[in-house]
Amino acid sequence: MSSSTGIGGGPEIKLAPGADEVGLAVILADMIKSNLESKPKRIKDFNALKGPIYIFADDADVDMTMAFGKGSLTVFGGRAGKPILEIVTDSETLLDLANISIKFGMPFFFNKEGMEVPIKLLKRQLKIKGMFFHPFALMRLTKVMSVN
Amino acid sequence: MAIEFMSDEWKKEYAAELEKRKAAPPPYIYFTPEWVDLFEKKIQGDATYKEVAKDWEGSVCLHVEPNPDMGLDIDLYVLLDLWHGDCNWAQIVPTDVGEAGDFVITGSFERWIQVGKKQLDPVKGMMQGKLKLKGDLPAIVRAVRAATRLVELSSEVGGKMPDELTPEETQELRDVVTELSNKFLN
Repeated sequence: MSSSTGIGGGPEIKLAPGADEVGLAVILADMIKSNLESKPKRIKDFNALKGPIYIFADDADVDMTMAFGKGSLTVFGGRAGKPILEIVTDSETLLDLANISIKFGMPFFFNKEGMEVPIKLLKRQLKIKGMFFHPFALMRLTKVMSVN
Repeated sequence: MAIEFMSDEWKKEYAAELEKRKAAPPPYIYFTPEWVDLFEKKIQGDATYKEVAKDWEGSVCLHVEPNPDMGLDIDLYVLLDLWHGDCNWAQIVPTDVGEAGDFVITGSFERWIQVGKKQLDPVKGMMQGKLKLKGDLPAIVRAVRAATRLVELSSEVGGKMPDELTPEETQELRDVVTELSNKFLN
């Protein structure tokens, strides 16, 4: 297992063997790492996340799993474990999700980028399984993924 | 003997070489200096790029990995000097300059040809690991529309694709790259 980061004794983000061949896995692991470095307030959200989250970019036919463990993250290529959340959408929407603004500590859906999310959910262009059972996990994931 | 990169002499010689090569009309072979020159003009004249890249700061380097069968014996780096929707210049640069770009997108020659033919969407390519990105990821995610537009523009330039060249043209590409490398890239 290759270690992607260990932030000053803080959260540890690792790529599982083979995950470095999956672009989506590498991109999201690097992005979360950069976010936590530049926005250390979000480490609290990172530390609260527990369980696997599965992401499938259906247009690129690429999937990956982020296994959060209350302060650690292991990123797998493909499906791993029993996900608490499953996100299925196209590559560009995944990047749009990373562009959601965070205001007052919450994801902000009332600007151009934010409005796209509920619209795509309604149109079934974005599917999030588990969002009603794990809303806080989804909110925290949005925060640690957001580049804004 | 190579000339010092970006010295007055380098600029003068590079401009002269470019003019000589542009004497022949397009289409030009993909990733040759004359093709890069057309790419630069395309970015500079694109209103969409100017709009979506208005907050963009930093250079972007397109890194093409070697493919001797297609006439490319060395790593090729095309650096785009970009700032707030403007493209100051685009040109082939030495390895150390290219690698020092703020954002480096790396792919095999075949992958870049697929991008040029619009057979590979750059965002999908990055997700699939076919194109690899180096640099501050959050910054490029924030400017994903600008990055995508740049790659779209590269495909709009058109040109002769290296996988469609005759053996003579492939040899010509090899000769150009070798000459360029010896004179300008070391």
